[in-house]
Amino acid sequence: MPDREVVPDTVPEAACQSGVSLLALTQVMLKVGATGFGMGMVGVLQQEAVTRRAWLSQQEFADGLALANLLPGPIAVDAAVYIGYKLRGWSGATVCLLALLVPAFAIMLGLTIGYLNYGQVPQLHGAFRGLNAAVVALVLAVAYRIGKSSLKSTPQVVLAVLALAAALLHANPVTLVLACGVIGALALVPRQKVVP
Amino acid sequence: MNLLRLVWIFAKIGAVVFGGGFVMIPFIQREVVEHYGWLTQQQFVDAIALGQITPGPILISATFIGYKVQGLTGAVVATLAVFLPSFLMTALAARQLSRLRSTPRIAGFLRGVLPAVVATLVMAAITIGRAALWLDWRLLLLTLAALVLLVRYKVDAVYVVVGAGITGFLVER
Repeated sequence: MPDREVVPDTVPEAACQSGVSLLALTQVMLKVGATGFGMGMVGVLQQEAVTRRAWLSQQEFADGLALANLLPGPIAVDAAVYIGYKLRGWSGATVCLLALLVPAFAIMLGLTIGYLNYGQVPQLHGAFRGLNAAVVALVLAVAYRIGKSSLKSTPQVVLAVLALAAALLHANPVTLVLACGVIGALALVPRQKVVP
Repeated sequence: MNLLRLVWIFAKIGAVVFGGGFVMIPFIQREVVEHYGWLTQQQFVDAIALGQITPGPILISATFIGYKVQGLTGAVVATLAVFLPSFLMTALAARQLSRLRSTPRIAGFLRGVLPAVVATLVMAAITIGRAALWLDWRLLLLTLAALVLLVRYKVDAVYVVVGAGITGFLVER
């Protein structure tokens, strides 16, 4: 593909200079995929990639979540692909997606075969409700950390409260995120050029 | 022919479901139950239930549906197809975002988006909590304990998740 060499500056520097190995990415994503249930993955992802390993800042992680909200696909999966791409380009993104899906795929396959042969869904109501408690806590923990590190100005806090009110009134999440982004682009533009 | 159709349907689903979770259920149901008749209504409900008790995205229910249609190959193909569109879009957007982040307008956009992201996270927690924990003080207590362990003591999420599952199992036995 010769035209790729012509525009080398379109590849973000972070894509090749992060120093995070594909093996480390695989390990973390396997862990996220094996322990995060649904939205809970976002919490595990943040704890592993931001809090523990500092692969990216809270701000960069929040940017990834913003992107994940605006694009199709489960939020946590999009966030994982974003992290993978940011750290190691296309190979990082691919490794992250596959490693994230392997535990779920293997377990789901086992359950499917069991179900189609025995016609039963395992009765784990209690355990499932306990897991949901953990998921709620994981998601709230992410909201708390992002809120604490990123909502620095009064307008942003006001916007967060308004956005939550709109969400409670069943506003479409994509519309909500877009609308807040437009408000930001109009009213929250930094005075000087932001240092990336 | 089924395999190609499987790829097409699941790529289509993957391209239009936002936020994952429960938003996608009616859409998938329309395609695989009503339109193609690959699953009965009961099987579909059970497939979603299995997707919930499996770690990872709930959209992994695609594995079930793919397997039902075309065995192991179908399972692999459906799973990859459903995540392919968002994978491509996210990677391409991540590439652009790193470049555009320093433009003032985009920086302003992101500053505005952050409060919305926090709000959608809180909303997701409320939605999941309402469905699963509503008015059960033991589970609310468990949620609170998990939150304190995660935020205050930075306990590894693995222990919190496993501990919560075991606690729920013991409490409700």
